[in-house]
Amino acid sequence: MTAIAARIGQVVGAANVITDPAELLVYEADGLTHGRTAPALVVLPGSTAEVVEVVRIAREAGVPLVPRGAGTGLSGGARPVEGCAVVSLSRMRRILEADLANGWVRVEPGVVNLDVTKAVSAQGWYYAPDPSSQGVCSIGGNVAENSGGAHCLKYGFTTNHVLAVEVVLSDASVVRFGGPAPDAPGYDLLAPLVGAEGMCGIVTEATLKLLRRPEITRTFFATFPSTDEAGAAVSGIIAAGILPAAIEMMDRLAIEAAKAATGLDWPDVGAALLMDADGPRAEVEHVSAAAIEIARAAGALEIRVPRDEAERALMWKGRKSAFAAVGRISPNYLVEDGVIPRSEIARVLREIERMARDAGLRVANVFHAGDGNLHPLVLYDARRPGEEARAAALGGEILRLCIRSGGSITGEHGVGAEKARFMAEQFREPDLDTMAKVRCAFDGAGLMNPGKVFPTPRLCGERPGPYRPHPAEVAGLAERW
Amino acid sequence: MSAAPRPVAEGDAILGVRPRLALEPASLDEAAEALGALARDRLAVAFVGGGTELDLGAPPSRLDAVLHTRRLSKVREHAPSDQIVAVEAGITLAELQRHLAPHRQRLALDPPEPERATIGGIVAANAFGPRRTRHGSVRDLVIGMTVVRADGVVARGGGKVVKNVAGFDVPRLFCGSLGTLGLVAEVVFRLHPLPEASATVAFEGLDAADVAETVPVLRDLGVEPTALAALPPQGAGRGFTVAVRFEGFAPGVREQVERTLARAGGGDRVEGADEAALWARHDAARAAGDVRAKATFGPGRVADAIEALRPLAATLRGGALVVHPAIGVAFAAGTLEDAAATAGAVDAARAALARLASGALVLAAAPAALRARADPWGPPPPALEVMRRLKAQLDPDGRLAPGRFVGGL
Repeated sequence: MTAIAARIGQVVGAANVITDPAELLVYEADGLTHGRTAPALVVLPGSTAEVVEVVRIAREAGVPLVPRGAGTGLSGGARPVEGCAVVSLSRMRRILEADLANGWVRVEPGVVNLDVTKAVSAQGWYYAPDPSSQGVCSIGGNVAENSGGAHCLKYGFTTNHVLAVEVVLSDASVVRFGGPAPDAPGYDLLAPLVGAEGMCGIVTEATLKLLRRPEITRTFFATFPSTDEAGAAVSGIIAAGILPAAIEMMDRLAIEAAKAATGLDWPDVGAALLMDADGPRAEVEHVSAAAIEIARAAGALEIRVPRDEAERALMWKGRKSAFAAVGRISPNYLVEDGVIPRSEIARVLREIERMARDAGLRVANVFHAGDGNLHPLVLYDARRPGEEARAAALGGEILRLCIRSGGSITGEHGVGAEKARFMAEQFREPDLDTMAKVRCAFDGAGLMNPGKVFPTPRLCGERPGPYRPHPAEVAGLAERW
Repeated sequence: MSAAPRPVAEGDAILGVRPRLALEPASLDEAAEALGALARDRLAVAFVGGGTELDLGAPPSRLDAVLHTRRLSKVREHAPSDQIVAVEAGITLAELQRHLAPHRQRLALDPPEPERATIGGIVAANAFGPRRTRHGSVRDLVIGMTVVRADGVVARGGGKVVKNVAGFDVPRLFCGSLGTLGLVAEVVFRLHPLPEASATVAFEGLDAADVAETVPVLRDLGVEPTALAALPPQGAGRGFTVAVRFEGFAPGVREQVERTLARAGGGDRVEGADEAALWARHDAARAAGDVRAKATFGPGRVADAIEALRPLAATLRGGALVVHPAIGVAFAAGTLEDAAATAGAVDAARAALARLASGALVLAAAPAALRARADPWGPPPPALEVMRRLKAQLDPDGRLAPGRFVGGL
């Protein structure tokens, strides 16, 4: 490995290769810190050409590559595997070109999500996907995980906003697909690439669609006795034909945590909703007033409308800081990410409460109610023997509940290494097999980010025809689909 | 098997290529069984829905069988409160909309010929209409899909919830793949509410520069139309008719219409039957004649794109342009007169469009005489090699509509 590090160092400069065990510690995990594996080395390439050379060297040596953006992922998507090289794209952080007449910006993968918006906001534009970590997470990571955010109810996810990419594949070729123009002839390769969690290749450039800031945004905050009434309000608003820009729910514990962290004067209630409507003035005024009426009819205790932008920002700060705020009320917690049909919210939340009680744990809920994307935060104390394991087990049971309810094990955090084992519960074997075939078209060598998404390692068939066992299968190291 | 072949009819041919077998499975199981049997016999097969997009692409290089989806026409599940619907591929768009309307919902897709066009065909051909301006294309509305692979295996991707990032996005990959990766058997969509009100502002006699201006002008105005299109003039009129449609709650529609009329002089408010007639003109103009070229370009390059397409339209009898300025798509449609002249104009337009932010031109319909002189797909895309490998993974024997797609895939 020392020889490989030296060769890579010749390409990217010795200063951009990390092999010192102390420095490697940072790269052992992403935002999901409990699963840790030390990589053999970390390389920080500075250009597409350097990425190509790194891939070439790694391929020759049979060293798996784990691409990494800002390391904020919550599913272990950037978790190293034994003997791998982590490819950190954090040095490639230039905004290459902004073409506002055509409504797009071309960036390197290390650019921070919020910096895209900052670069064009003076002209009235913005980049829509807004994961809660948008102040630190990178576009490359967003593309890998198909990141969402509070406003994807109306505006869609990363996949709806990536127009084109440049990718280095595992054979060291550089391919570009998509384009600022729509409907590029051929297969929609952006579809499998966005959300492929780094398993298709290393994205070295992305062209992103920009949107014009809506004319106005109206926000309100409503409190309810319990999540039942809040859930009914959400259903009522949607049933009235309203498409909010965002509609977020917090339960009692999450409200308590957010208050503790931000000093907001929110009341102690069973549930709260935070809703944004945006668009043309008259439409938004109408929709916002109608939604407030529906919330009242559903049993809202109190409605607060921010007096100005500062007050609105504070309300959103309370919501967006809720994850971290849970640290104020519990020494440890797990962040889950599951999706259920919107109409099931009240029932599923009651079920989660029951499951938590049975496990002797508490669960705080703060989530994107408009699209049924739950974020149960399982609270525990790692100092108490067995509690961490019970928390992990409860998290898993919550995901199973999402699957049983007709939903999904992830709405925006990705499958990564952490949830791969649940894929076989949400999908059947032929479904996974089809996904694996798609991946093989991009990475026949299985070099890129192995061990993610799929519950068991999968090999690409060398050629169609009768089944022939791969040496790794014979050795019991891998399963063919 | 239960989906026994029926006699082949004239209408089973695809761009003049006649199959030997025609299959009409009535269920997912029958479709899987049929494809499994075709795989065992190594027969080439193409999938047919309503037949509205069969002229897109190249003729199949080999065709043993066609599989019609018309008997796969059930609504599998409609959850109004979750705003999702799961349907079989053979249901027509119009029938689906009739099913949804009593629930005050719709699928926000409006390609031409909704009474004929099936969901499977719309997905496979990435068909769209003017509302793409606001709601996006098929890929923005599909949330789940059941496909039958070339080997007869049934595979599902996505799910029944709008927000879902579990696994590789197979459903979106199949959008626009023209039946060359597998049979689109069932599709799950997100739905939108039927708007309470609708009104269109129409402007007559606009030139290319005016059409190009509509996008920035409306954007700066802060209004959000659901559809925007430039249509050929009626009768002896000159220039384009530009139609701007607003849908939503009545107060919002009223105010946006008024603001648009106040900002841009000379517009007319069009509602009710007149509005329907105006938008029917869009569908008719796109389908006029036997040649339909679809050009794509960066939405900031509308005027250049119109200039690039005018010489092509001029080679066609009754040749006219339909432009979707906010999407970055324009159609040139008309009747072929001189295949060599039109083919030359196609080449010239392609060269010009390629300079307009990665633009391209695809022949969505063309008589054989034109197809013989101009590749319907144009030059191979830069990532063709990856596309080839993808095709080889999912259809290793090359039996699904071989030769129909880009680069001979």
